Amino acid sequence: MSRRVLGLFLVAPSLAVILFLFILPLCLSAVGAFRVDQAWGLGNFWKAFDLYTKDILFSAVIVGLSTVLIGVASVAIGGYLTLGTHPVAVAILRWLYRWPMFIPFIVVGQILRAFLAKNGMMNNVAVSLGLMTPLDATSFLDWRGIVIAFVWKQTPFVALLVAGAMASVNREGIEAAVNLGASRLRILFEIVLPQVTTTLAVGLILSFVTMMSVLSVPLMINAQSPTMLTADIAFRVNSYGDYGVANALGLISLVLAASVAWIYLRISLKEQA
Amino acid sequence: MKRLSFAAFAMAAAILPAKAAELTVATAGDQNMVDYINQYLGPLFEKTYPGNTVRAVGTGAGDAGSQKILERFDAQSSANSAKWDTDVAVVHEKFVGPMVTKNYLDKYRSDIATGKLVTRDNAKMALGTNVDGYVMPMFNSQTAIAYNPTLVPNPPKSYAELKDWAKAHPKQFGYNGIKGGASGVSFVMGWIYAFGGGDANVLMNGPFKEEETKKWDAAFKSLADFTTNATLTPGNAGTLDLLSRGEIAMGPVWVDMFYSWKADGRLPPDMKLILPAPGMPGQPMHYVIPEKAANKDLAEKFIALATSPKVQAEGIVKRFNWYPGIDADNVKPELDKDTWNKLFVDISPEDLATKGKPFPIAPYNNAILEAYEKSVK
Repeated sequence: MSRRVLGLFLVAPSLAVILFLFILPLCLSAVGAFRVDQAWGLGNFWKAFDLYTKDILFSAVIVGLSTVLIGVASVAIGGYLTLGTHPVAVAILRWLYRWPMFIPFIVVGQILRAFLAKNGMMNNVAVSLGLMTPLDATSFLDWRGIVIAFVWKQTPFVALLVAGAMASVNREGIEAAVNLGASRLRILFEIVLPQVTTTLAVGLILSFVTMMSVLSVPLMINAQSPTMLTADIAFRVNSYGDYGVANALGLISLVLAASVAWIYLRISLKEQA
Repeated sequence: MKRLSFAAFAMAAAILPAKAAELTVATAGDQNMVDYINQYLGPLFEKTYPGNTVRAVGTGAGDAGSQKILERFDAQSSANSAKWDTDVAVVHEKFVGPMVTKNYLDKYRSDIATGKLVTRDNAKMALGTNVDGYVMPMFNSQTAIAYNPTLVPNPPKSYAELKDWAKAHPKQFGYNGIKGGASGVSFVMGWIYAFGGGDANVLMNGPFKEEETKKWDAAFKSLADFTTNATLTPGNAGTLDLLSRGEIAMGPVWVDMFYSWKADGRLPPDMKLILPAPGMPGQPMHYVIPEKAANKDLAEKFIALATSPKVQAEGIVKRFNWYPGIDADNVKPELDKDTWNKLFVDISPEDLATKGKPFPIAPYNNAILEAYEKSVK
């Protein structure tokens, strides 16, 4: 047996897994989106846009906003870990910031449901500190709750990547800037950040795609209208047994996710040119 | 020693004729349904018919769980399996119709003794499909409005009064929309029964007519206004949760869940229920046997046991605060007075008879949900 055949043989199991468990279902659901009553058509898409345009925009805006906030927070964390001068504070931050990464989304949903409710812990603390009166307390269990859940859960992941990239940035440039009297903020934005943008972008895109697919958080925090596309997909399947519109919604969220990847590709191509 | 006894068991199992069987019970619904079978019904069955074992499979909460069972049957039917892997299934009312029309089920009710004890109409018609003989109701559950009497001393007695009350008390009424569980769905169905403009009986009994669905515009417009004045809660449990913390004063709940929460101390003991006119839907969950079940005889015995007055009294009424699946008069003698009365404190049997409605038939059901998605945003 030649080496090539052997190589193919070795790669076959994993290739089969990818083919049958990922590519095939993806194709089936993409095809299914265009099936209306045993015929081909765009009916599922018209229905999806008719009923869920608001939810599509809502999902894009919520996930987009979360991505921006995650970017800001992870740059802040990574920046402090790299440029911070207080060793104890840096050590504490380094130890603390990764925790949310190990907590599943559904648990995050459950925690925040108790934390953000009108009489939840957050408002109770604010009331007992005298920051507001019980009458002013409002529930955060709406779009804000989803954003908080996403940012809380995904920031550590991106921060981990960004901090790693920042740590490998050549210290000489930073030290030279310090010697010339640059502030730490300026060093972060003008020297460190430009060198880690690719890593930051990769982390943010992975987070964007992950957040697009989360069902538990919108279900637990805000399964109302408008809500995230995942909740609508689950509702179409569970309440109507309607896989057509569910597939169409799945394709739409795929397009949303792919558009981000496309932006990223363009950026990296431009950089190489 | 231990290993030896295992070996002895294995030998015995191999030698004995394969009389002992494993009965597979697939159940939709929350974890409590699986627990009910694993902890109560299963052991009882194994004791009554020694040598057999019961394996409970939970397929998930709400309609999603029943949908999964239906899809499992679909798959085995199109694969032409000779023996299906489920002996008994517990499914929601909405999914029994399709199972019967697709000829998946065994017509077993006349074969078991307890079949005669079933009196309610919902064992004959399931949302517009004739299922007479194919199902045994496991229990009947009902939705109602739960309220906090300290905040609402005179609760609204009808949907019309409720509408005015909610306007006068913004954000004090909470419900979970239609995507977070069936208590919200039920509230919406009741709204259409009350304000839909058509004949609610047509919605409940059919036939389906397209023009009927055009009459709801005003009702949905008022529901959209109502909803802006209401608090939207995350799920069935979410409504009870907000109620217990005083964030809302009123909201639709499942009666059994309400009593269970109260019994656990998760709801203040003074909370009350009311069934507003013209009524709110409730639904049974049904025991069904697939036509191609591997252990049909045993499955019938299992269901006969599960629907016997004693089990209905002890398991369904006492443990779970559900209304019995068989005629309540047969269950009453098996229960002490307190337990019986507890079930009917806030909602009298008369209320239940006049204002406990079925859900609309499947096509209207879907049309109402979709109209809600379109208009209440």
